[in-house]
Amino acid sequence: MTDMVPDRFKMRYPKLEHFQEPNVITTTADFIFSWARSHSVFPFTYGLACCAIEMLSSGFARFDVARYGMEVFRPTPRQCDLMIVAGTVNEKMAPVLKRLYEQMSEPKWVISMGACATSGGPFYDGYNVVNGVDKLVPVDVYIPGCPPRPEALFQGLLELQVKIQQHKFVAETPKPAAQNPKPAAVTPAPVAGEEA
Amino acid sequence: MGLEIGTNPMDMDAIAARLAADFAAELTDVRVQEPDTVVARCERAALKDVARRLKAHAEIGYETLNFVAGVDKVRHLESVYHVYSWKTNTYLELHVEVPKAKAEVDTVCDVWPAADWHEREAWDMVGIRYLGHPDLRRILLKDDFVGHPLRKDYVDSAENHPHA
Repeated sequence: MTDMVPDRFKMRYPKLEHFQEPNVITTTADFIFSWARSHSVFPFTYGLACCAIEMLSSGFARFDVARYGMEVFRPTPRQCDLMIVAGTVNEKMAPVLKRLYEQMSEPKWVISMGACATSGGPFYDGYNVVNGVDKLVPVDVYIPGCPPRPEALFQGLLELQVKIQQHKFVAETPKPAAQNPKPAAVTPAPVAGEEA
Repeated sequence: MGLEIGTNPMDMDAIAARLAADFAAELTDVRVQEPDTVVARCERAALKDVARRLKAHAEIGYETLNFVAGVDKVRHLESVYHVYSWKTNTYLELHVEVPKAKAEVDTVCDVWPAADWHEREAWDMVGIRYLGHPDLRRILLKDDFVGHPLRKDYVDSAENHPHA
């Protein structure tokens, strides 16, 4: 049975040393913290379009994201460390999304769920569409589909768990900030009824 | 004023004839388009007056505004008002031609308050300026958006995509 699990989903257990005393295990801090982190991810409910329906249905009993310890969807970024961008990001939402990402607690991850969040999808090149959320925030895992089924979301979450387990706790290099080529321009104050 | 639905059932042709007679100076091209809809064209300058009289009409009385649409007809723009009469349980579609060079038309917010957001959307998407509107801002797009994207001659600009 274990042979059916792909290598990339297997946890990388370091050497565990057992002592004579019961219930004592020594291991590395890296292992214990990344193990705890990867199994207690708090996702941020960032549903923007129909992908959100799949994301929420994966939270309920039929698919049950709680099996991965990720059932605690939070509506505030301050209690979250995973942003599942589920849907089309448009230009009006872009500064809001960026601000919410910055408000999330470190360490934090982003999943781009579905074609829209990944590249704009069917709305690519629309007059009000951002062609992929990776233009705004760094993305860890991309999930294809329109919309992806909950199983696809779970595969993405498992890939993310593997990624989280690679983090080094002791000498962890900080995650780079959002890669934005241009500094955010100051939004000019709107003038009511004026045509630009 | 209680809303009495369908208390004055009138034949569609009778409604069209009645409108054509009562608004002979303002409405043109009055015709029945669908089983429950009369379509008419209205002069731009007369819109506000026509709207008031349509709403206050004794027998038909278009009391409810369902929708305001902005349309780009390439040669000109159009502001289309979909209004509903409770008494006769019928609709009226009022087309107002707006020239592109001077895309302005009087607001009907003070006649039908529902027009507020609809006119903002038509301004946002098609660029029809509603004179006398209490708060004519963009409603769907961001405030610093350049242009009106549902115009046929709209060309997407890099200014509207600062993150690309």
